[in-house]
Amino acid sequence: MKRISALAVALAIALWALPGHADPAAGEAAFKASDCTACHYTDGPAKEKTIDDQLAKKGPELWYAGSKFQKEWLQAWLQDPAPIRQMKFNSVTEANPGDHPKLAAADAANVSDFLMGLTSDAVEAGVVKPKKNAKGRLIFTKKMPCSGCHQYEGRKKKLMGGRSGPSLVGVGKRLNPDWIYAYLLTPEIFKPVKAMPVFVGLLSEKDMKNVASYVANFK
Amino acid sequence: MMAKYTIFAALVVILGLAAPAAGQAQDIDVEKVFKFYCAQCHGVGGKGDGPNVTENFPVSPRNFTNPEEMNKLTNADIKNVVMDGGPAMSKSPMMPPWGKTLSEAEVDALIGYLRVLCNCKGKEG
Repeated sequence: MKRISALAVALAIALWALPGHADPAAGEAAFKASDCTACHYTDGPAKEKTIDDQLAKKGPELWYAGSKFQKEWLQAWLQDPAPIRQMKFNSVTEANPGDHPKLAAADAANVSDFLMGLTSDAVEAGVVKPKKNAKGRLIFTKKMPCSGCHQYEGRKKKLMGGRSGPSLVGVGKRLNPDWIYAYLLTPEIFKPVKAMPVFVGLLSEKDMKNVASYVANFK
Repeated sequence: MMAKYTIFAALVVILGLAAPAAGQAQDIDVEKVFKFYCAQCHGVGGKGDGPNVTENFPVSPRNFTNPEEMNKLTNADIKNVVMDGGPAMSKSPMMPPWGKTLSEAEVDALIGYLRVLCNCKGKEG
């Protein structure tokens, strides 16, 4: 019996020590030590009530990062943070300088584990399936102004769309499809003050799911 | 004497009722609202040259500093298109419907701001 217990302990230690293992507590410590809190807040709910509140932020809020992002993408991005926005955060005049700090692999693993633990109850899992959604495509490209602000890949991979919103190129790897829908459905929970129009009351819940499904298929 | 007090009291009540509405309008920093929501496409100076207007942008956002163009619109036309989007005026859906985002007071303030930018009164309607 003792042998089995010792074996179990040894196995647990070995698994913990594997290179892929990450530690949320160490991630939170690394998040603070790397001064990420200077631009990102991680304690929800949303704090912004006015345009000034929004403009005072230097980076996106991360208190629901675990509901928003896909872990594999997040861990890789933290090590090689290519700009997601073409414009500097909260600016319509300055281009994104692309100066987001990089994390070493071990810190990126721990920080992504920490951030993936920050979730919102407003995101219901398993609601949206990414696919070439014709209705969603029609709304995104023709009926609504989504492409006016968001970059995306058109036919033959041609880059289309505007520059003021986050790019949606490859967003199927970045965002959780269910979060995209939840964000359209209850924007006030995630971003009470934002430059993107509120579509509640303009799009039906079914059409919001169609748009989320179409966008989540951008690979 | 009593009549004077009555008139004074009535004035206080009337002014008291009118004050909140006037206060709400004054609280709107319309330039800030314009730069936050509209400048993405119309530019910070309202010339239709915001960062979204690239070679691929399918339409030319209106230049609010052009009085000839702006005089073709009534204030009601502008309100209509801001609240319900371009298609409400047979224009492009690239102009978003802001009616679920902005308050009516903010939209009214924006119309006043556009009239300052164009230095024009607009078509009567």
